Amino acid sequence: MTTRVVTIIGFSGVIVALFVLEIIGRRRTTRVPTLGEWLGYLMRARAGRAAILLGWLWLGWHYFAR
Amino acid sequence: MAADDVSRPPGRIGRGPGAPRLPDRRRLARRLAIGAALIAYSWAAALTAPFSTAALCCVLLPGAVVAVIAIWRPPARIPPPDRLDVAGFSYWAICVAVLFEWEASAFKDNSLWWHPALTDLINPLIAPHPLKCAAILLWLLAGWALVRR
Repeated sequence: MTTRVVTIIGFSGVIVALFVLEIIGRRRTTRVPTLGEWLGYLMRARAGRAAILLGWLWLGWHYFAR
Repeated sequence: MAADDVSRPPGRIGRGPGAPRLPDRRRLARRLAIGAALIAYSWAAALTAPFSTAALCCVLLPGAVVAVIAIWRPPARIPPPDRLDVAGFSYWAICVAVLFEWEASAFKDNSLWWHPALTDLINPLIAPHPLKCAAILLWLLAGWALVRR
């Protein structure tokens, strides 16, 4: 197994974990918030809202304009 | 964190819960029209060459639209939770931190073949036009979802 494969497995593992957390968060009896809930919580303040929206814009620039 | 930013200032034009709702058929037609427009936009944006002015404009235009909507015509917001469970949120924080650390270590090494950055792994995946179109559409929908938060 090359280090490249290990890197890809690492990225895949984290991304799968994020999806698993979202699925767990959607269950009724859980302490884990969904992605939307914690993003919404961070976006309660104007600064958090601006930071998250700028992050979204950066993501678009990074993947689609470059 | 302060929650006072969530409510819309009085007198501001918006489409909150108190605003009159369109009939179902008109709402459906409007949604279909918006969906078709977004797909067409994504399709066109995916045709632009990387590092071109057109590609930059295709990203900045939705950014400007989102900013205008967020500031001057905020939609009905999905109420955020009053509090977050710290232990529950920590799982997310750990995963996001690991993702950033893994990405940063690849970035620090100039994204060599043996430890590629996430960007270098995703770019070939979204190189085919239909997949890039789908990715842009997903990004646009994520932007709308964020505006509603």
